[in-house]
Amino acid sequence: MVFNTPIFFVFFVVFLLIYGLILVQNRPRLYFILVASLVFYGAWNYRFIPLLVGSSVIDYYLALAIAGAATAQRKKLYLALSVAMNLGILGVFKYADFALESTASFLTLFGIEATLPTLAWVLPVGISFYTFQSMSYTIDVYRGDMEPRKGLVHFTTALAFFPQLVAGPILRARQILPQFHELPVPTWEGARHGFLLFTSGIVKKTFADLLAGPAAVLFEADGPVSLLEAWTGVLAFAGQIYGDFAGYTDMAIGAALIIGFKIPRNFNLPYFAVSPVDFWRRWHISLSTWLRDYLYISLGGRNQRLRNVMITMLLGGLWHGAAWTFVAWGFFHGIIITATHWLGQLKVFATFNKSGSKLMTVLKWAITFYLVLIGWVLFRAHSIESAFEIIGNLHTFSGLPEASSVAIRVTAATLVTLIYMHLQDWFVIARGEAFEQKKWIFWPVLVLLQAICLLVGAPSSEFIYFQF
Amino acid sequence: MPGQRQIFLRIFLTILIGMAAAMGLVRGFTEAMGADSQALLGRVLEGQQGLKRLLVEDEDELVMVYGSSMTDAGFSPRQFDQHIAAMGGDVSAWNFGFGGLNPMFQEFLARRIVDDFNAHDRRLKLLLIEFNPFQTTKTRRNGAKAIEEPYMSLLLNGEEIFDKVVEDPESGLRIAEIRYLRDGVSAEAITTYFFAEPFQESSADASIEKDAAIEERINELFAAYFPKHEQEFPNFADCDWCYDWKGGSALASERSAELTAILAEYYSLAQADYRMQLDRLERIETSDIIDLDFDEDLVVAFIEMVRVFKPIADNIEVILLPKNDDWIQNPPEAVQRLQDVIARIERETGVRVRDFQKIDAVSNDMFSDTTHLNGREGREAFTRFLAEEYAHLLVN
Repeated sequence: MVFNTPIFFVFFVVFLLIYGLILVQNRPRLYFILVASLVFYGAWNYRFIPLLVGSSVIDYYLALAIAGAATAQRKKLYLALSVAMNLGILGVFKYADFALESTASFLTLFGIEATLPTLAWVLPVGISFYTFQSMSYTIDVYRGDMEPRKGLVHFTTALAFFPQLVAGPILRARQILPQFHELPVPTWEGARHGFLLFTSGIVKKTFADLLAGPAAVLFEADGPVSLLEAWTGVLAFAGQIYGDFAGYTDMAIGAALIIGFKIPRNFNLPYFAVSPVDFWRRWHISLSTWLRDYLYISLGGRNQRLRNVMITMLLGGLWHGAAWTFVAWGFFHGIIITATHWLGQLKVFATFNKSGSKLMTVLKWAITFYLVLIGWVLFRAHSIESAFEIIGNLHTFSGLPEASSVAIRVTAATLVTLIYMHLQDWFVIARGEAFEQKKWIFWPVLVLLQAICLLVGAPSSEFIYFQF
Repeated sequence: MPGQRQIFLRIFLTILIGMAAAMGLVRGFTEAMGADSQALLGRVLEGQQGLKRLLVEDEDELVMVYGSSMTDAGFSPRQFDQHIAAMGGDVSAWNFGFGGLNPMFQEFLARRIVDDFNAHDRRLKLLLIEFNPFQTTKTRRNGAKAIEEPYMSLLLNGEEIFDKVVEDPESGLRIAEIRYLRDGVSAEAITTYFFAEPFQESSADASIEKDAAIEERINELFAAYFPKHEQEFPNFADCDWCYDWKGGSALASERSAELTAILAEYYSLAQADYRMQLDRLERIETSDIIDLDFDEDLVVAFIEMVRVFKPIADNIEVILLPKNDDWIQNPPEAVQRLQDVIARIERETGVRVRDFQKIDAVSNDMFSDTTHLNGREGREAFTRFLAEEYAHLLVN
């Protein structure tokens, strides 16, 4: 069930009717959220509901066991069990075939033709999100960052909460769990902001779908592409992935807010970043902070920074998908983050950094955006060879590009869309609250934007991040 | 708690009113830009209405040729009637050729047609179903993704839409929404057909140089043709599928000399090499017309369509329409694939498939492009051929 479809509209309206207008007590409401969330999840594949519920039940009891363990060793054992279970589920469903195929390819380097069986299992939607979310609870309890909370249904409902279940944000238990112990009372102001976020998300998702076409011209090309098509394709993919993912999370946050639940922001104008580190503070914030808090810091943080950054980014890349292109993407970001740290230590750059000149800021932005775009090539390409070929295309001046009027129109539309999405987000963040006060403009604009999204669309409207 | 309920009620109403207003705007926009079911499937919808009427009004034995735009262009029902009458028969033929429908859509439409025949307790004396190879390819299907749901929304009946909702709620509700709230026009269809044009360019357009003089002359001919046609046939100005023409078009003998001359010049210019090359490349790009990599689902849909039709027809055959082999030459592997599909259709439906791709009655200069017979010699020749070929079934 995707947010921008009629079935979600029906689902949400029925949900509101029952949750808000028929049920009055907290406990029935809690049970109802759980049932609705499982229906929402089951709409994709009901066979994976036991996996979701099972992992939440195990983590719930392991968290209690950690808190109640008499010795540090016991605590560690229970934590290890939780981590092993969550990573085991991920490993089996997401990475087993990748590992087997990579092993077989590796063996061929030594002349060994190994035919290893593959599982070819369907990847449960949202598995990367909810396993990380669930694992963060046991780790937090182990570290003493939060007390375990009694209430299996509360914990399972928090994990399965439909707005954020399949594509995040990856919530920390301490952010979301208390809201299920004391169900929030929605306010009109909150709901209104929820409508704004939901609409902002649906607009971005619509634009993202439209950008899929120009992106495919580059990434699905059978033959050579011109310089202009190559850059248009990369820019289009940058817009597509941003609109798709940020759009989805805005809709998730908005839907939750409409019924009173608060979910933190997951994107903060990432293409305005002025360094790779800054980019990761703005892009998929819930994942980058998760990796920072539970992996990077666990590895030792700034001690052996190079090693820890590289491990964190490699695993962060691999989190996105079981393919070497994602590993390469993570590796690339590890390198540019490390390079940024290293450059920051050089006196000459530190001076520039502190100068605060606009020119310097624009330069840093341009370099960062360029590096992010190169990263997207690794992310989106079908293979590493193909990625290098595309990167080559981006830097090969083979005469003047065939700038037919259509190609220029596509490039212009891509740029306008990319810029619009960021301007819209800037507006929502910086001016949203004031805008919401002006109800005679606010509501017509929202209706108009919804109408535009109902008016245009592209045939393939699956969310990219659902596959992760 | 009552306060909470008020807020939820307000949220609930906001969503309903907001969506209703947004949907109202969408309908306003789409109607203003002429993007409605008529624009998408006008000929089909008119054909469906015409069918209901003919089943009541036309008491003769019925002949139907059902197929693609090649049937639409290549078969003249009134001329067919005349030929059969000249041979002593008395039938009423109808052209049910519709452009842009792949076999999946044709199957849905076939069900509606059969519903109507059953409702009126009528039968067909002869049904010829065109099998169009290049409409059954994977490429063709991929190109139709944007219109799959809109077409289904217009071609399925209420019961089938309900079944679809039960079977696959996500897709079913989308189809229901398109049918009942959007007049058959989805966002995808609007984007693909009404907004996307400035951003689309076929590789053919980019690679082949057009002859400006010919293009200009063709535009002049169009400009002269339509008013003249409207003047000569005022009753047929507003229909894509005209009941009085039985789904076909004007007979050559009905056109004035001036109109005939315009058409003759147009068909002559239309066959200019570069135009044929452009058309061929466009067909390769959109339909895989040379290699014919068939889509399994479309082949199955075609077979199912023939089965659906069988109970209402005394005589039924599948036919392949003439092919312009000056421009469309299939490699041996494609020919073999086509032969395999034909054999499969015969095997699984028990209906004979007649291959009229190369017949003496039709020559390559009778085409208006690489696939369609022209509206003068081509249509006449093929219609005469069909009348002669099937007279034994229609003339006692």
